[in-house]
Amino acid sequence: MSMQLLGILIVSTLSTPLIGLIGKRMKRERLFVSAFAVLILLCIFLSSITSFIDIMHGDIVLTAFNKPPQPERPNIRADLLSAYMAVIYLGICLLVLLFSARIVVRSRVTAYFSVILGMVTSMVGVVFSEDFFTLFVFWESMCICSYALVSFNKEREEPIEAGYKYLIMSSAGAITILFALSFLYGLTGTLNFQYISKSLSQARGDLIVHLAVLMLLVGFGLQAGMVPFHTWLPDALCAAPSAVSAFLSACAEKTGLYCLLKVFFVIFGSLYEDWRIPIAIFAVLSMFIGNLSALLQDDLKRLFAYSTIANTGYILAGVAVGTSRALAGSLFHILNHAIVVALLFLCVGAFIRQARTRSLREISGIRRTMPWTSLAFIIGALSLATFPAFNIFWSELMIITAGWEAGMAWLSFLMVINLVFSAAYSLRIVQAVAVKGTTYISRRASEVPLSMIIPIFILAVAVVVIGINPGPFQRSTEAIVNSVFQAVLQNT
Amino acid sequence: MDLIYYVACSVILFFIGIYCLIAKRNMIRLLMGLEIMMNAANLNFIAFSSQVAEGAVHPLAHVFTILSISIGGCVIALGLVITIHAYRHYGTLDVRELRRLRR
Repeated sequence: MSMQLLGILIVSTLSTPLIGLIGKRMKRERLFVSAFAVLILLCIFLSSITSFIDIMHGDIVLTAFNKPPQPERPNIRADLLSAYMAVIYLGICLLVLLFSARIVVRSRVTAYFSVILGMVTSMVGVVFSEDFFTLFVFWESMCICSYALVSFNKEREEPIEAGYKYLIMSSAGAITILFALSFLYGLTGTLNFQYISKSLSQARGDLIVHLAVLMLLVGFGLQAGMVPFHTWLPDALCAAPSAVSAFLSACAEKTGLYCLLKVFFVIFGSLYEDWRIPIAIFAVLSMFIGNLSALLQDDLKRLFAYSTIANTGYILAGVAVGTSRALAGSLFHILNHAIVVALLFLCVGAFIRQARTRSLREISGIRRTMPWTSLAFIIGALSLATFPAFNIFWSELMIITAGWEAGMAWLSFLMVINLVFSAAYSLRIVQAVAVKGTTYISRRASEVPLSMIIPIFILAVAVVVIGINPGPFQRSTEAIVNSVFQAVLQNT
Repeated sequence: MDLIYYVACSVILFFIGIYCLIAKRNMIRLLMGLEIMMNAANLNFIAFSSQVAEGAVHPLAHVFTILSISIGGCVIALGLVITIHAYRHYGTLDVRELRRLRR
């Protein structure tokens, strides 16, 4: 059992230098390198799915070393939530790799694949870690890979500028986390989650603990795109290659949200009551600023970046409500938004490749020349508009009704207002792509090759399937909440 | 009781780093600000490690600090790489010139 867990991490860690080695030996064989990367990732993905099913059915926790946790020892451990997040990351990464196999410049394909594999490895490491030591090391390696990916096209100015801005802001956030960890270490003498939680369970009025929680909220929220710290996000997602933007907004931000969930419901469960209102305020700010800025955009990638910020707000709203149904809604929304935003960014990548533009005005009417990509794109945009029978509708419904039941009706009300905004810009996209007449640019475009259509269609099918049949997914997220957050939910 | 001086020193260093990030305009100085903040956190770890275990230093903090120094080195190295490319594109190290994305 534990071998499976370690196997996922070890194989994916080894795959990064292995891809580099193979790429160096076979400079001409771009196809071989990308096929190898996709194959390795497919194996890891299947293995993570089996471990998710194992944990789900056996109601167990996998640990790496089969020894009881000790305060000094770093440990690796997977509960249901970590396995769920790992499945999302690996699945999205697999589709992103498939998509980008044809796009990346031939001379740099090795660098691209090894860095993106390193990034997904460290994200899986973040969700599998059981103490802040391991978590921080994996977190920083994830951040380093993502800086490199954002400024990947170093020949142009935009990626360099966005990458620099991202590096400064995100490292400042990571160092804030490190500073908070040093105080937690000073207070408890350990970095293990369970031991910190045990020794701080009576520390409700302690100022230093609250400061540490605030610093953790800022540091992890910065990566998640929470509003006062969101300014790097539109630039980075805009300047990165489209496949990388899909991966960043679908997975890297969700890692920040995962860490926030872990902080507030596993480690500082006793302090959660004091932090509900601040989280709710951050959530409302994120929703409004994200959605209102998205309304004004003509650049598609920038528009989706702002809508990502708004969706971070929705997930944080579920965290602020904090009942088991709201948390299940948040986890479900993490899955749904990851799928939808990956779909939309990959479609924009296809448009950029064929039409050389990402302006909404210039691609209008592109459905006539790129029918299949546009079909998937419209499905994604309708889902973003909270259209019933697509997946995002169900998770937002869960969060809103849970807020209503838990007595935070104002939060639900503000969220409903925001859904109107998001419907407005999403329907504007649908209208431009499907209804308006063609432009000079969209008339010249042609359909993308099959290897790019397949990942887009898998994501679109997932959107529709979850939308038509949300029951099993809702039940499994509720099972996750019941197994992982049970201790805290009983206290509150 | 000496601990409070070390902690106060590291908090001051942390805020000096934040000030540097806010006020300075040179790209390399911003990276130095990050480095100062990182050193503040590491100093804090080392200071606390003398207190956690009675009569001995606690190894966890030292291991963690060595790892975090090396990670910090990686981040700064990548930052310098990006800085070199930015200098090639813009011909200056002033971050105020890097605003072609803001429209």
